[in-house]
Amino acid sequence: MAAVVTKFTEQAILLGPRRTLVGVIARPRVAPDPALPAVVILNTGIVHRVGHNRMYVTLSRMLAAAGRVTVRFDQSGLGDSGPRNDRLAPLAAGLADIKEALDSVEKTYQVSRFVLIGLCSGADQCVLYGHTDPRVVGLVIMDPTIPPTRRYYVHYIVRRLSHVQNWISVLTGRSGLMRMVSAQLLHRLRPAEKSRPATLQDLQFSPYLGKSYAASAALGMKLLAAFTALSPRHAYARQILDAFPEVSSGGTLQLQYFPDSDHLFSAAHDRARLYRVIIDWLAVHWAADGRRTNA
Amino acid sequence: MNLLSLGSAQRRLFAIHEAAAATSRAPRAAVLCYPWGAEYTYAHRSMRQLALKLALSGCHTLRFDYFGTGDSGGDESDADVAGCESDVEAAMEALTDIAGTPQVTLIGLRAGANIAAAVAARHASIVEALVLWDPIVPELRSLPGALPRRTAMFVTDRTESRDRLVELGFAGGTRPATIEFVPTQSPWLESATMTGVLPVSVIQRVIEWLR
Repeated sequence: MAAVVTKFTEQAILLGPRRTLVGVIARPRVAPDPALPAVVILNTGIVHRVGHNRMYVTLSRMLAAAGRVTVRFDQSGLGDSGPRNDRLAPLAAGLADIKEALDSVEKTYQVSRFVLIGLCSGADQCVLYGHTDPRVVGLVIMDPTIPPTRRYYVHYIVRRLSHVQNWISVLTGRSGLMRMVSAQLLHRLRPAEKSRPATLQDLQFSPYLGKSYAASAALGMKLLAAFTALSPRHAYARQILDAFPEVSSGGTLQLQYFPDSDHLFSAAHDRARLYRVIIDWLAVHWAADGRRTNA
Repeated sequence: MNLLSLGSAQRRLFAIHEAAAATSRAPRAAVLCYPWGAEYTYAHRSMRQLALKLALSGCHTLRFDYFGTGDSGGDESDADVAGCESDVEAAMEALTDIAGTPQVTLIGLRAGANIAAAVAARHASIVEALVLWDPIVPELRSLPGALPRRTAMFVTDRTESRDRLVELGFAGGTRPATIEFVPTQSPWLESATMTGVLPVSVIQRVIEWLR
């Protein structure tokens, strides 16, 4: 640990115009090329910036030790951050928080490009925000929301056929599958303008999600998508390609599957592999060399 | 809210101080001791709310991450009980400086309650009150000294009776002056982050008891 500690510094910071967003910045002691994108890690659900199993602390320190400025922060109302003083809906507020955090980091630490990292709801926010801000050049999304595809339903049904409880749920009207199909039909029947997501909960069937992926691909945004076997959100590794064929256009997508991992990367060896995949992916697209001495 | 860095360069601790709101009483001070592991992750929201409400009631609060946990320095493998106890002592020293109070209250949740109890048993002259929130009761048997006279234990899970809890944790030793069941959602369980529900009744009860 001592050898790693000497390679970076860490500091708690307040971000945003009202300085209400609490974050921690990890920076290499030897300053990186300012053209390198800074990495910004978003909240997972309502868990604070440390992340499950302290994964974002470890990841940010490893990235800083590898030469990258890394920020993890709490969006408004989460972790230690205060609430916003406007009346934005939760999803819009979360996206506004990302912009304000990036503005602060850009201004204070002289970086102009960013890579966003998120798990679960954090991944969805990466996708929804990334294409709207030209400073964002890459996304690392872990178990994002993917709409159910035909193959998903086949996987889902086969997996549950063997359980008596699932048959009882269908017969008593409490089937998750039936609820999902109903929700999907409902969203298809809605007028297009009403299907923009008001919340992350209805994102699964919203055309807005597909448009966000398409816009990211059209911009040439680099995308690392990691999926775990036990995610409640998808059933097979290539579901993202079936749901959003356009994301693979231009060769900017790297798909990574963690067949033994749960949704939160609870096992240390799964987290270690995840860190390595992210570090290597960043190195392929933005090599951390040509450093200069930090002021 | 003041973001602080406590401890030494080798043992850097991340801490947050909430200043006491002005009240008619003299300001008080409380150090909050987090649980460990996954329980820390799930309980963070509740501990923050407790800190904010205590500050509004006129109590300076300091909550911090033990070395090797949360935003503090070190790896997870660096965290141990003795180190956590020394971190609480560092937090107590910092808070008495900040608040200008000679004594502090220790409030701990789960493993944090056990750590707070051990520190309180060693520093009777500095710890004026101790709150044990859902402690790991059997582990309280091996404290290095007596509990402070003003000690309360609040329990959200009513699996064990009061007598059984006393037998498990305090047989032959001093027992908390107050032992109360406050049935509510346990904030250190994963369900706390799934539902987003805060244990308001415990937070209110802790503040009332400290008045």
